[in-house]
Amino acid sequence: MENLALKASGITKYFHDPVKMQVLKEINMEVKKGEFVSIIGKSGCGKSTLLYILSTMDTDYEGTLEINNVLATGQSLNNLARIRNESIGFVFQFHYLLPDFSCLKNVMIPALRLGKLSYKEAEETAYEKLKMFGVEDQALKKAGKLSGGQQQRVAIARALVNNPAIIMGDEPTGNLDSKNTGIVFDLFKQLSKEYGQTLITVTHDEDFAKRSDRTIVMADGQIINKPM
Amino acid sequence: MKISVNTEIALTYLTSRKKQTVVASLGVMFGISMFIFMQSLMKGTNDYFEKMSFTNTPHIRLYSENKVADNHMLKSYFNDPSEKILTNPKQLNQSLGLTNPYGIIEQIRRNPEVANTTPQVTGNVLYTSGSVELPGNMAGVQIDEEDKMFDVQSNMVSGNLHDLNRVHNSILIGKGIADKLSLHTGDNITVRSGNGNTLMMRVVGIFSTTVKQIDDTKSYANISAVQSLMGKDRSYVTEIKINLVNYMNASKVARDIETITGYKAEDWIKANEQLKAAFKIRAIILNSVIGVLLLVAGFGIYNILNMTIYEKIKEIAILKAQGFSGSSVTSIFLQQAIYIGVMGGIVGLILGFSLTFMVSKIYIGAGTLKYLPMSFYIPHYIQALCFGIFTTVAAGYFPARKASKVDPVTIIRG
Repeated sequence: MENLALKASGITKYFHDPVKMQVLKEINMEVKKGEFVSIIGKSGCGKSTLLYILSTMDTDYEGTLEINNVLATGQSLNNLARIRNESIGFVFQFHYLLPDFSCLKNVMIPALRLGKLSYKEAEETAYEKLKMFGVEDQALKKAGKLSGGQQQRVAIARALVNNPAIIMGDEPTGNLDSKNTGIVFDLFKQLSKEYGQTLITVTHDEDFAKRSDRTIVMADGQIINKPM
Repeated sequence: MKISVNTEIALTYLTSRKKQTVVASLGVMFGISMFIFMQSLMKGTNDYFEKMSFTNTPHIRLYSENKVADNHMLKSYFNDPSEKILTNPKQLNQSLGLTNPYGIIEQIRRNPEVANTTPQVTGNVLYTSGSVELPGNMAGVQIDEEDKMFDVQSNMVSGNLHDLNRVHNSILIGKGIADKLSLHTGDNITVRSGNGNTLMMRVVGIFSTTVKQIDDTKSYANISAVQSLMGKDRSYVTEIKINLVNYMNASKVARDIETITGYKAEDWIKANEQLKAAFKIRAIILNSVIGVLLLVAGFGIYNILNMTIYEKIKEIAILKAQGFSGSSVTSIFLQQAIYIGVMGGIVGLILGFSLTFMVSKIYIGAGTLKYLPMSFYIPHYIQALCFGIFTTVAAGYFPARKASKVDPVTIIRG
């Protein structure tokens, strides 16, 4: 029980606009610590919606969500922000860096927000992470000046800077070529194996999914196979 | 110095859009500098007119008021409220002079609020030279005291006012009288009082205030000369003029003096109601102009921050996804508003001061007014800064709150 990173029970969600429509139906899922899980499914099956609920950003759902055995459902927005800051790293399909800041600053900002490290330490950690993805030479450039692939790698480095327990990715390799996808996948694998970090990614990439520890297949707002 | 991550983000946003930041702070700058400039001009002008009004009005004027007879003495004699007394009230036939004026002056001088006090005899006279007669009024004064209180010397066009004490039956006349009667210093003038006495006097000086009505009618003579012209004795004094250490206390001191002496004490505020009304109207006009200026500056800031938030909405969503709380986001945008306000405010203070300083060197040269009257009054600068910062915070608050309410899911998922 205590080695569960995330536990969702009875997650149900409706979209209200333009008409009321059920997108998630009674989803139950558990993710162990250090597990590398992929969620796949057709467009519109609700996999991204599920991921946003699991990330605590979306609070409009029924059911309960526990992160590191702490109930996240019903917590105040400020508490959820703190939980995200501390234990969840999020990688989006599009990089979403802050273009006015240098890459290093972009990576540092979540660490500075958390406030556990001094400015100097945060800078070192951020540089470290950039190095992992081979973009350390871009550290002082404005994020807006980088190529798409480089930006995505900086974005992943940013998700990792606080060493979160859970890393979530919404098509994290969607904008990367096969070489970079390979690099990112290997790193994800390494994070889960060596550092015990939990990874949950939504992907279209069958190959990527197959190579992860476990694949959750979704269709019409339900999990249709759940190989344990 | 360790700055918080919110501050760092706010500063980066400000510096990455320098043009917009500068435009927004220019708005605040103009608002604040205009505020200072206009307040300085208004206070300067008001002070000037206040000072001007004291060149011929004392802070307090004590005189004997005509009274209407009443029946309070009778009432106390009958001492019975059921008795109804029918009377026909009449003006009392009493002297216009004050009883025991020098005793009163002694008493008034003991008041620590009083700076100067001088007796005066005023009478209506006819000035005659050759066949021309001119009505006017003559003030019998102690010229040294009068000069101390009203700076008569500064109005002198020719002659010497101290000759009033040296030359027997001498007179200082207004420039209007001198022109109309074609008189110069050293000429003689015949003055006739209301009761028919005439006196030949020598013109020892000519003065010119900026008020035509005064220049055309007024003259100064020694108090004893006027007393004898009026056919009165040496204790005849029609009014006592009092100047205070601080003229803002005039109404209070006037009430005290009224109670002690039993004569009417009129303070300068009552004597210059129209001046006060003009002050008020000017204040309303200027304050509304300043209000509009700051409002416009506020809308500028509101607009720019609103635009920033639309531009940065994805970044705000991302910050929230990374664990920035709503209050952190509010702080980021409110700080931007405050920095714009402080920057514009400080430059505005400097600009306001320089503008005021430059305008105070503009030569006007009308009457006794040489340069535009501007005041350099520190509280105006403090007020201006407070107003400026208040406006920017108010203008920044609403966009900042809107930013804090951005829902990351809707923005990121599109």
